[in-house]
Amino acid sequence: MRHWRTTLAVIATAALVATACTPGPQTGGTAQPEEKPVAGGRVIRGSFSDIRVMNPVIATDATSGQVTDLLFDPLLRADPKTGNPIPWMGKWTASADNLTFSWEIDSKANWSDGKPVIADDFLARSKAVARSKLTTQKSNWTDVEGWTDYRDGKATAISGITLDTANPKKFTVKFARSFCPALLNVFGAAPLPSHIYGKYTVDNDPAKNIDTAPENSAPPVVDGPFKFKEWRKGDQVILTRNDSYWRGAPYLDEFVQKVVADTTVQAAQLKTGELTLGAIQPGDFDDLSKQENLKLYEWKDNGYVYVGWKLNNPNVPFLQDKRIRQALAYGLDTEQVVQSVVFGHGEKQIMHTPSVSWAFPGTGGFNEYKFDPAKAEQLIRDAGYAKGSDGFFAKDGKTLGWTIVTNQGNKTRETFLQVATEQYKKIGVKINPKVEDFTTLVPKLNTGSNEIETIIIGWQLGAEPDGFFSIWHSSNIARAEQAGNNFVGYKNPELDKLIEQARVGNCAQDVRKPIYQQANKILNEDQPYNFGFSQNRILATDKRIRGIEPGSFSPDATWNVEKWWIKP
Amino acid sequence: MRKYIVRRILYAIPTLIGISVIVFAISRLAPGDPVRLYTFGATNITEEDIAALRHFYGLDRPLPVQYVDWLLKMLQGDFGKSLQYNQPAFALLLERLPATLQLAVLALVLQIAIGVPLGVIAALNRGSWLDNVVRFFGVIGHAIPAFWIGLLFIVLFAVNLHWLPSQGVLTIGKDVWDIGDRIKHILMPAFVLALAGIANYSRYLRTETLDVIAQDYVRTARAKGLRERTVVYVHALRNALIPVVTALGGILAALVSGALIIEQVFTWPGVGQLTYAAVRGKDYPLIMAGVMFASTMLVISYLLRDIAYGRVDPRIKVN
Repeated sequence: MRHWRTTLAVIATAALVATACTPGPQTGGTAQPEEKPVAGGRVIRGSFSDIRVMNPVIATDATSGQVTDLLFDPLLRADPKTGNPIPWMGKWTASADNLTFSWEIDSKANWSDGKPVIADDFLARSKAVARSKLTTQKSNWTDVEGWTDYRDGKATAISGITLDTANPKKFTVKFARSFCPALLNVFGAAPLPSHIYGKYTVDNDPAKNIDTAPENSAPPVVDGPFKFKEWRKGDQVILTRNDSYWRGAPYLDEFVQKVVADTTVQAAQLKTGELTLGAIQPGDFDDLSKQENLKLYEWKDNGYVYVGWKLNNPNVPFLQDKRIRQALAYGLDTEQVVQSVVFGHGEKQIMHTPSVSWAFPGTGGFNEYKFDPAKAEQLIRDAGYAKGSDGFFAKDGKTLGWTIVTNQGNKTRETFLQVATEQYKKIGVKINPKVEDFTTLVPKLNTGSNEIETIIIGWQLGAEPDGFFSIWHSSNIARAEQAGNNFVGYKNPELDKLIEQARVGNCAQDVRKPIYQQANKILNEDQPYNFGFSQNRILATDKRIRGIEPGSFSPDATWNVEKWWIKP
Repeated sequence: MRKYIVRRILYAIPTLIGISVIVFAISRLAPGDPVRLYTFGATNITEEDIAALRHFYGLDRPLPVQYVDWLLKMLQGDFGKSLQYNQPAFALLLERLPATLQLAVLALVLQIAIGVPLGVIAALNRGSWLDNVVRFFGVIGHAIPAFWIGLLFIVLFAVNLHWLPSQGVLTIGKDVWDIGDRIKHILMPAFVLALAGIANYSRYLRTETLDVIAQDYVRTARAKGLRERTVVYVHALRNALIPVVTALGGILAALVSGALIIEQVFTWPGVGQLTYAAVRGKDYPLIMAGVMFASTMLVISYLLRDIAYGRVDPRIKVN
């Protein structure tokens, strides 16, 4: 599940751990240049749910993904700071037409049982995804030539993947089209040890797969910085140092992921030292920054929390009027929202692309929708509404009001909803705030139910800006017969064209960037969302832990975990 | 007696089946969809993928068919596979059972060991400050939700005083057989879980003891010149304990349901925590396994209570 997490994942329940950039406030000791790393020690990370599985092919939940990321390394990854694809356990060259990729896996890359990581292991991953019934990664691979035939059992080999008979570390992959997200989607997938998992996928029997392999809950060999030691279900997962890690053995002896009830309990455990690492909420920042034993890191996130106006819901026809949506942008004091909801640990967002992405065009030429209640009210009047004696706008006897819903238990979003309701009241818009359980909200959201009039929720984006396609292309409008991430039902042929143009053909960043700029301009003008704000990631750690270098594109900040060490 | 027990067990079967029908119906008819939940946010997943997953989990069949299938397999000891873990639900449950049993048994012991003496002391010192204190805490222990007391205890004993660990069963890195460390971990959750029971027992015992010491036979015992201690502990207490046995069934029920919440607060890796996560994740087979386990425990505890009842009070004949 590294894949959809890297391309795009939703900030589901409370908070996931994460990613990168601005150096944090220094509340603890800082690494002095003369400090020499010392081996040993243990990091204990808090998590709000138990893992379910440790096979990256079928780990669909964020918590399991956090652990498989430490066990299995990918061939390439997004640069933790910039998001650009960079060689990791392998290096590649692409043909001029961007259709053929030639790979060579690092010569030092070995499985923890001493066997080398080879091209066959990449193939094992590809085949495992093709035949698994549980994976949600199939769409990542469909452009690889012959892959769908293998998936469907029409072929017993994937014709597009060729292993080098002379050098087991070399292979080439041929794509049916030049598809820009493919690089991260396909090669960001960690190879699977073919000598362990290979037997579960049977070339001539599409019914066989890795789904029930016992190794899924106790991986015997890994190529990541840590090895699996023990899973005490419901309590903790214990990982130990992989001495043969290709980037060098980690300094830490152990990495433990421990289940905690919620953010309150996690904060308490960080204070007592029962946890030494945990992603925290902005509301806990001041309290924890005063703790002598802790150090906090803060960095910008590649994601945002937004208000999504449902544009294809007949119950709220007024939301289809751009003037109303723009009024709702002028009428919301986002600067104040950032102060009161995330206590200043975030920034106003005025378009889809967050400021950390390479596709971010800067704010020049964009409407920043500076807080202007008078302008907001004027726009509502322009749309034909008049203010009644109750202080709310109305037209034809109907008050301008509707329901905004968000998921229960997410403090940030619940507070955002309260603040927005108050602020909209001041410009004469009557919001009925509602919180609903995440489990019941999800099917309504991605099947486009009209029970939803407006949603407050968040996007956690991947390094690849093609998240645009999934969220904004009209083919992904959420509807009963086809779920989609275009929850609000936004349809704009001009935007569709831009998104399609940016994902195929010439994948150079300087070609794609101006296209995404235009796409962002359209969204900024049209306001299908109020783009809300981007909430910073905050990581609290025991102040003795050294070597952490967060980046907006490394979920969990663990990309260099082998360099982490604990000052005695 | 044997006949009675057999009959009670036979009665328990339709009860459990009834429970399973209700829980099955509620869990399935409640809004939400596990497949949508697990695939939420996945890019470009098609409806065919969704349908394939649904078929894989067997959720594409009519509900009555799914229920009957579940029932038939359950009778053979197969509770189906957890959707989240893709492992047999019953095995997952069994793995968690020891943790829950430890917690529940210790809580039960604490309830009796603390609740009973408190009630007797309060009754024997009726109207004194001691009595008032016990009654006050009896009401408090009953009125305040356990999870809140749990959080309060964590702040007090773990965060501020550093006396006890706040979560889990064992300090990370300690040997799994480190009994001392385990006891430190179990104290808080077991005590919090026991609180409502302690409050209950002390109230029952206080009322009953007051009732009993006013009886004629107690006066007779005193008139015979027996020592006060003998009068209270041998003659009075034994009879005062009868309703305690009656309360036992309800208290066991409270332990089972209380564990669901307490395990959550203290991250105690037991059946309650597993069932709660199953409900959150709409993991139908695991929900069913968890609920059926709790229901069976309840039915058994009521049966035990009725048997014990006949033992403690010979006036009661069970048949």
